Amino acid sequence: MKYLKIILQISLLFLFYYIGEAIQSAFSLFIPGSIIGMLLFFTLLSGRLIKVEWIADGIDLLMRDMPIFFVPVTVGVVQYLDFFYGKGSLLIPLVMLSTFLIIGISGFVTSLLLKKEVDIHD
Amino acid sequence: MTNFWIGIIFLTISIVVYAITKKIYRKYPNPFTLPIFLTSGILIIGLGVSDISYQSYMLGGQWIDLFLGPIVVALALPLYRQLDLIKKYAQTIFIGIFAGSIIGIITGIIGAKILGFEDWIIQSVAAKSVTTPVALSITDTAGGNLSFAAVFVMIAGISGAMFGPLILRLLRIKHPVSRGLGIGTASHAIGTSKALELGDLDGAVSALSMTISAVVVSFLVPLFLSLL
Repeated sequence: MKYLKIILQISLLFLFYYIGEAIQSAFSLFIPGSIIGMLLFFTLLSGRLIKVEWIADGIDLLMRDMPIFFVPVTVGVVQYLDFFYGKGSLLIPLVMLSTFLIIGISGFVTSLLLKKEVDIHD
Repeated sequence: MTNFWIGIIFLTISIVVYAITKKIYRKYPNPFTLPIFLTSGILIIGLGVSDISYQSYMLGGQWIDLFLGPIVVALALPLYRQLDLIKKYAQTIFIGIFAGSIIGIITGIIGAKILGFEDWIIQSVAAKSVTTPVALSITDTAGGNLSFAAVFVMIAGISGAMFGPLILRLLRIKHPVSRGLGIGTASHAIGTSKALELGDLDGAVSALSMTISAVVVSFLVPLFLSLL
């Protein structure tokens, strides 16, 4: 019974994913179908049309080991190792620099806004 | 041997290696012992040494790939659970995430362009700041290479987790909301586990920032790429 419930809960994620994909292709939207499915699912959760306890177990189970699902795609880089030994290696410092800028700038902007909020309340 | 059984073997190997690396990570938590990093590394070396093609490996891997889209849908649940925290800091959170996401996309796209990379690489680097399943969906829609995107996401995660706290200290950013938001917007789940070490509020804000930024970035990347 417990396994059946978890299978049904995970099937629901597939259903929302396929609905999202269908909406994306029907309206030729530029946003990924998976995101559309997620927003739809989020809307139904927020509107209490889907109750958390109906779906939580299966989703929590899936999310606990989420990284396993990224393994095959990541392993795919094996086909391009030469690229990363060569010019592609430049992309590593680029991604790092861009990451540091995000942390610095979004952190800084947020602290300014938080300070302003405190000032208003004072 | 039929393709089906070859698939089963590679599926089993992937799961077993992942289970082992998860134990290793629990014992020695470090960005370089992350299960996704270790498992992928071990399998890449294994395929290289044994001269097995990626196509053979994918006879099993393709079944795991089926879950990538539905996992994006699953992110709605943690987002819903954090609704109270989001409402409390709504305006601050959205502006902060928006600022960080735009900076990340622009520096990624322009940087790769200046370095002279082709369009498909630029399309693969654009969404690197968001959690892997969403980055893969965005990259797929944009026309980039999924494996490249996964690697860039991992680099963004690991480097942000390693250096994020130092950057925040240097800039004298002390509020847990600012710290969590910076790390979560830049370094998704890998950063979030680091943010949790800084504090509970840091971790919670990092987790919600990673999900909200994923939605924001999925709208922004196609817009910025269309300007190329």
